[in-house]
Amino acid sequence: MRCRMDNNISENIIEVKNVKKIYRMGKERICAVDEVSFAIKKGEFCCLYGVSGSGKSTLLNLMAGIEKLSSGQIIIKGRNIHKMGEKGLAKFRQDNLGFVFQSYNLLNMMTALENVELPLIFKHIPVKKRKKMARDMLVKVGLGPRLKHRPKEMSGGQQQRVGIARAFVSNPEIVFADEPTGNLDSKTSKEVMDLIKEMARTNHQTIVMVTHDRRLAEYADRIIHILDGKIENIEVVHKAESPIEALGQSGEVVDEVS
Amino acid sequence: MKISDLFKMGLRSLSRRKARTVLTVIGVIIGALSIIIVISIGKGMESNFETQVMQQGGITTITVSTYADVFDDDGNWISNKEQKLDDHLVEQIRTIEHVRAVSPVINKSATLYSGKYMSWINITAMDMSVFEAFDFPELTYGTYPSEEDNSQIIFGYTSPYGFQDPTSRMGQQKQIDMQKTKVELRFDEFQPDTKKKAFSLPLKNISKMVQTNGEFDYNTYMDMDYLKEIYMKYCNTLSLTDRKKAIKTIEEYNQIKLNVDNVNNVTEVQEEIEKLGFQSYSMMQYLEPLKNASKTLQIVIGILGAVAMVVSAINIANTMIMSIYERTKEIGIMKVLGCTIRDIRNLFLFEAAMIGLFGGLVGVILGYIASFLFNTFGGPVFSVLMSGGAMYDMANTKFSIIPFYLPFASLAISVAVGLLSGYFPAVRATRISAIEAMKTEG
Repeated sequence: MRCRMDNNISENIIEVKNVKKIYRMGKERICAVDEVSFAIKKGEFCCLYGVSGSGKSTLLNLMAGIEKLSSGQIIIKGRNIHKMGEKGLAKFRQDNLGFVFQSYNLLNMMTALENVELPLIFKHIPVKKRKKMARDMLVKVGLGPRLKHRPKEMSGGQQQRVGIARAFVSNPEIVFADEPTGNLDSKTSKEVMDLIKEMARTNHQTIVMVTHDRRLAEYADRIIHILDGKIENIEVVHKAESPIEALGQSGEVVDEVS
Repeated sequence: MKISDLFKMGLRSLSRRKARTVLTVIGVIIGALSIIIVISIGKGMESNFETQVMQQGGITTITVSTYADVFDDDGNWISNKEQKLDDHLVEQIRTIEHVRAVSPVINKSATLYSGKYMSWINITAMDMSVFEAFDFPELTYGTYPSEEDNSQIIFGYTSPYGFQDPTSRMGQQKQIDMQKTKVELRFDEFQPDTKKKAFSLPLKNISKMVQTNGEFDYNTYMDMDYLKEIYMKYCNTLSLTDRKKAIKTIEEYNQIKLNVDNVNNVTEVQEEIEKLGFQSYSMMQYLEPLKNASKTLQIVIGILGAVAMVVSAINIANTMIMSIYERTKEIGIMKVLGCTIRDIRNLFLFEAAMIGLFGGLVGVILGYIASFLFNTFGGPVFSVLMSGGAMYDMANTKFSIIPFYLPFASLAISVAVGLLSGYFPAVRATRISAIEAMKTEG
């Protein structure tokens, strides 16, 4: 099934066109993502929803340029990311993309502050400035008193907050979140999701989230149901003239849901 | 990534695995240390040879003696043979290529008298024209013989040894200042003819050499013609039969000394002299086995050093590969967060180079300590290791000399070994797929 393109193409920050990803497992070929096309608007909170093994995570990785696609096109901000070299892609990630992972993926040897600083180090931001940015961001996610703690000394929820701070610290236009609450209990999950949504709303950021949890999917403006590498159906949770309004409203709705 | 960040992150990773880093660094230390030891000992030996050669009166001097020792190829003494040395041979030798100066030599012993005190000297008489070519030492007083006046007698630093009263039971010695005291020279090879007035030469033109620590010190030199002149006077005081014998001793030469223009030609000239049928002698024969011994020693330690360096290179590579396995996830995360391949490679190269640098630094410091210990306590060990150990002037000898470039060179080598052995693992780190890396535990 195909998503209907938005009339105003310039608003589409991500365009996925006929994307196919084939894995080879021995002699067998497995089509993880099969001829998928859709578009995500700027400022939208989009959820890729499906059961485990449906290909949703693969799709996210393809969109983030972490995995190479077999055919098709992925265009982010008008640039075909699969034609970029490693260097260009690294630069592109520095400037435009943030990531939140299920297993947090923090560096255990570094403190919370240093973890959040990391993307800024790669961006060559001066020490003083980046320390301030990282500290402000950690305060924003409610970890002001835990700047010097290492991941092992924090709870899962706190670790994910560090992860969120790291994803948002360089103010990227798009944040990819892969099962961001997969390792958390429901109360912490809600806190984390609210945090992500809050952050995205204040900075007009686009969120692409992968989940298999229907309750989390409800946070999104649009839910793309994925099954066996194909789009099964696209569900619009909140129709709104402006995505920002939609985000605002969906927050209230989600509260009711959970 | 900025260099300061590279520094911080690299050092952090190294200090995170202290035990392994330290063990790897120890490998480099051993390598760097052995390089420093081998080169410093080599330099020490080299400088010892140089001083030895200088002390022994020049390595470019070849001596042909009347009584020559014959050695086999391994340097063992077989026999000696008598060779007739005359002016004809002197002329023949003069025509050999690379010969700078030739002089016949007559050795005579003589007695010096000052009142009731007496002393002995060994006179070496040579052509005064070649004194310069043979690098005669400077004089503390007096002059070398010249065309106008060849009557100088030049005493070596320790010659004459000390004046003694032969009648005194204690053999008491007395220092005599020959510049101020009257001293007479006499020959006593033959019984003087009682009918004639005994030969005695009051010393007037005397000179003294500075200390050389070599053969010059023990000898007394004079011009060949002057020796012949005074010896003929001595002969005239002998009985007829003795006179004939005595005159014969100055017609034939005891030695012929020649000087070669270059150290490298000494052996060649010696071979030429052998072709003429004469056995000759030079410092080269003496130094060659010493040099070979030290070369062998250096090669052995050198190989050990090289092996240690190769082992430490493998060690570094191993450490870095292990490190990459452990940090696969970290690399993946960094890649996803926008770390460029270049930064990742630089990070690992930096760590490997730091291991090399630390090892090199400690190696250099230990090298200086080792060098100091060798020079202070190494005497007995080195005299056992080297056949010519007895040659060492134990008090002043440095067995280990670290040239100024050595610490820098060994640092550079250590860092280079680190970079080289870190390169492959670093490139490998960049090839890690971010998605695979993120899936790994860690």
